[in-house]
Amino acid sequence: MTVGQISSAQGGTDTAKAADRPAAANRPRISMNARRQRAFYMFTSPWIIGFLLLTIAPMAYALWLSFTTFDGISPHWRYVGLDNYRELLSDSVTWDALGRTGLFAITSVPLSIIGGLGLAVLVNRPLKARGLFRTLLYLPAVVPPVGAGIAFKQLFDTNSGATNGALNIFGFDALGWLADPYARYVLLMVVLWGAGNIMIISLAGLQDVPRELHEAARIDGASAWRTFRSITVPLLSPVLLFQTVTGVIASVQTIMPLLLSADATTAGVTAIPQSNYQYMMHVFAQYFAVGRYGYASALLWVLFVLILVATGLIFRFSSGVVFYNVDPEAKK
Amino acid sequence: MPSHAGAPPSRRRFLALSAGGAVAGAAALSGCAMQVSSGVSGSGETVTLMINPDDLTPELIKQAQKDLGVKIRTVKYDITKLIAMLTNGNPPDLVRGIGAVDAAYFAARDVAEELDPYFARSSILRLDDLDPVNDLWRYDGRTQGKGPRYGMAKDFSQDSMYWYNTALFDKTGVDYPSETEPVTYEEWLDNAERLVQRKNGQTTVFGGSYNGLGKAILLTSLTAAAGGNLFTDDFSQVDFSSPEARKALGWYIDYCRVRVGPSIIDPDPNTWDGPTYQANRMAMSNCGYWLGGLINTAPKLAEVSRLAPAPVFEGGPRISTCQGGTGLWMPRKARNKDAAWRVFEWFFGEAPAKARASGGWGIPTLKSLRSLMPAQEEHQKQVLKVQEAELKHFSVASFTPYAKWEGLESIFNQIAPAAMRGDMSVDTLARRLNSAMNEQLKRGKEQVG
Repeated sequence: MTVGQISSAQGGTDTAKAADRPAAANRPRISMNARRQRAFYMFTSPWIIGFLLLTIAPMAYALWLSFTTFDGISPHWRYVGLDNYRELLSDSVTWDALGRTGLFAITSVPLSIIGGLGLAVLVNRPLKARGLFRTLLYLPAVVPPVGAGIAFKQLFDTNSGATNGALNIFGFDALGWLADPYARYVLLMVVLWGAGNIMIISLAGLQDVPRELHEAARIDGASAWRTFRSITVPLLSPVLLFQTVTGVIASVQTIMPLLLSADATTAGVTAIPQSNYQYMMHVFAQYFAVGRYGYASALLWVLFVLILVATGLIFRFSSGVVFYNVDPEAKK
Repeated sequence: MPSHAGAPPSRRRFLALSAGGAVAGAAALSGCAMQVSSGVSGSGETVTLMINPDDLTPELIKQAQKDLGVKIRTVKYDITKLIAMLTNGNPPDLVRGIGAVDAAYFAARDVAEELDPYFARSSILRLDDLDPVNDLWRYDGRTQGKGPRYGMAKDFSQDSMYWYNTALFDKTGVDYPSETEPVTYEEWLDNAERLVQRKNGQTTVFGGSYNGLGKAILLTSLTAAAGGNLFTDDFSQVDFSSPEARKALGWYIDYCRVRVGPSIIDPDPNTWDGPTYQANRMAMSNCGYWLGGLINTAPKLAEVSRLAPAPVFEGGPRISTCQGGTGLWMPRKARNKDAAWRVFEWFFGEAPAKARASGGWGIPTLKSLRSLMPAQEEHQKQVLKVQEAELKHFSVASFTPYAKWEGLESIFNQIAPAAMRGDMSVDTLARRLNSAMNEQLKRGKEQVG
């Protein structure tokens, strides 16, 4: 390539650059704020699409099913309006299951929060091998629920379980732990056994409590209990509120009774001891054992509304007792 | 206001786009989901079987693919998956089912294909070679056992018979049951009470287990054994208050109440009798001939195991029902019906059928395969002798097409434990079962039309 050619080529490039300039200048400038918004939507869109596809769409489908007699098989189903909801109101099995579920929630949620908080307080102290204790106490929380169910079934089996073996050693007769009336206690034990999750969250909350406040209280002569009640608990109250809300939601949707049942099949699940026949078990049975997809969908929608109401009530009644370190109204 | 090129979408627009994307994604997923039986160019068609993993070995499948020129894909049997596939319009080509309780249910809902034209031209599954048990898969729109065939049983047993462990009988000094004359149900329970072994509130050896293949079909069979019918003639109602059904129900509640074997109030963690019987912890097990498949694999257990005729009720007829007749049916919307039929013939008449027959896992459903039933060992000869004599009393207890058996069982499981614990009389239980089950049957009849 000669010097002249190079010069000509360069001149051409310059000409092209010059021609591009006005186009680039005409392009609308994207503000930083707009860029941020675009990035926000790009990053959140997978979740939003997933939410629409895997949550909203099935919920809408279930809502539609709840107005029909669809049984999953027959093409002869029909639209029945609110009949399934009307039937639900007079179905004693549904109400009994709902009552048991409510009782389970108001028993298991406070017990697991108190238990988890108690463990957190213990492992927050300057103990030797504190890390080991924390690991051991948290370990049950990472056991998959199916594994926990199998382990508890083996442990509490009437004829070969270790629990009855221990009772026999102390001269007591074996008990039918996995049948009524004891099955509810085994269920509660499984839930409390997994309180490590609550312990970890409470522990994080405890470590956020300013040390100076405790020291000031000690100098003022406050007892340990008084310090815990008047300083630790109020500062932990947002964490406790979170645990209460998530705990209630999880407890009313628990499928642990299924995992504790002797026969976790479509028909077997209906043989769960009455005391553990909770709302979700009833939903499962109506869907898959009875084949009433319409009615079971109505049951699920009612549960969804009840959970919304319960959550709202918890927030409403907690507003006077939950202490926020940062004023939640500040940004309004 | 027109939006600027390059400007971020408004929140509303973004949500609308996301919803559009979700709908498009759903449509795409729906198109991709459960693609079954698509033609495979150059290597035959694909047939999807929804079965249990132990229904077919991988070696048999490989051999069949080679012999039939059909690609076989298996999907584990799962009722929720089946419903999803049926709803989606892409059902498996062949589905596992229990003839006694599923055949009429699916046929009445128009989802099962009539197989009579296929049987008519088959040289492998000849109508004159079919055992009468296959009539469980017939339904004429009203009654099971008549009308077109919708499936076929892979093997069967007379499920009211029972196995017993002679070593445990010897230990407690209880006489062995006769090989030819049935005991009464009352005697069976009496024997179970003598055979049960307990220590510190724990049952170390169950006297006997009597739970049938499911409570709904068990109670249907027991009522038939008492000389009656659990269902009304049109199968639209149950009647537990009839003397025969009341007798059957009372006996089963007594069985649970005396706690000689597993029940809802005394669950066996093994969920079925096999492992417990195999561990010499069960003196009598209400399993039919098919349990021999398991027993034959343990020579020591086989030596002390005997099969006994189905019990009878005092004054009742001598019948011996089949409560299962598990096999395959073809969904009406199956894509590759002809290829599926080739697999059907192979499954019921060729290598898999021969393997099942010679393994002792049930009586073959083709008469021509009976000669393959195991009879080499002494105990096998005894079992075969008792079984052959029992076939004279073979019977079928027809089941309603208007409810799923699991649905009726769920009602029983919810109401009956109170009676088993003695907190409710059998008459009250019968009334409550009538009320709850008849409501479910009424809904089913309305659905089927």
